[in-house]
Amino acid sequence: MKSSFPKQFVANTLALFCGWLVLSGKYDNFHLVLGFTASCGVAWLNTGFPHSPFQQFPWGRMVLYCPWLFLRIVESSLHLTKLILNPSLPIKPRLITYRSQLKHRGAIVVLGNSVTLTPGTITVEINGNTFLVHAIDESAGNDFTTGRMERKLAWVFQEDTNL
Amino acid sequence: MVVLAIGLILVGIFFLVVAAIGTIRLPDVFSRSHAVSLTDSLGAICVLAGLALYQGFGINMLKILVVLVLLMLLNPVIAHATVRAAYRAGLKPQTEEDQ
Repeated sequence: MKSSFPKQFVANTLALFCGWLVLSGKYDNFHLVLGFTASCGVAWLNTGFPHSPFQQFPWGRMVLYCPWLFLRIVESSLHLTKLILNPSLPIKPRLITYRSQLKHRGAIVVLGNSVTLTPGTITVEINGNTFLVHAIDESAGNDFTTGRMERKLAWVFQEDTNL
Repeated sequence: MVVLAIGLILVGIFFLVVAAIGTIRLPDVFSRSHAVSLTDSLGAICVLAGLALYQGFGINMLKILVVLVLLMLLNPVIAHATVRAAYRAGLKPQTEEDQ
């Protein structure tokens, strides 16, 4: 941990400073120096934290996963819109218990978040790697129960699963 | 550009209205939260994308994109917390057999 201190410090400072540049929108010397000092200070206070799962987070492949998730969100939003606007309200709510094979803690968080973000399914509880998911009808939970979303995430986190 | 922006905002508002209708029509907390998640996803995406286009390229567009990313990260957490609280408080979701 000690050896990675400077690298982590520089990375944190740069990330915070980028955030400052976007949010402040003022590029005169006073504000730049102020932002840089603040970024250094916050980064210095926050380095040396215990190992978090997000330190080996595969950001690159995560960016490739996002468009797929976005398409799924649009599709299931339209499906849910049809359900709600249908006068007979043809919903079949059910609870699904599902044991995931993902091991990386970050992967489990992303899977839970993706499920909730997709309209029609919502994560009720996560225990270790057992998910309790509420789905609004038969087709809503399919992505999840067939392991389609999980396979994508196994690829993102480069895990060996026999899915 | 402006026409496209207004179109996107209108589509977003349509989904927000559908989400509101869904919140009233659906039977219990669990299925209502699905309707609410419609607001987070297509509603917010369309409205914010429309606003970003309306602003044109620049620092304000970046700021709106930051808001969008934060919304996508935080809203599922809130939805999950609500539903888990309901579940732990002993509410059982309605299933087909109850109806």
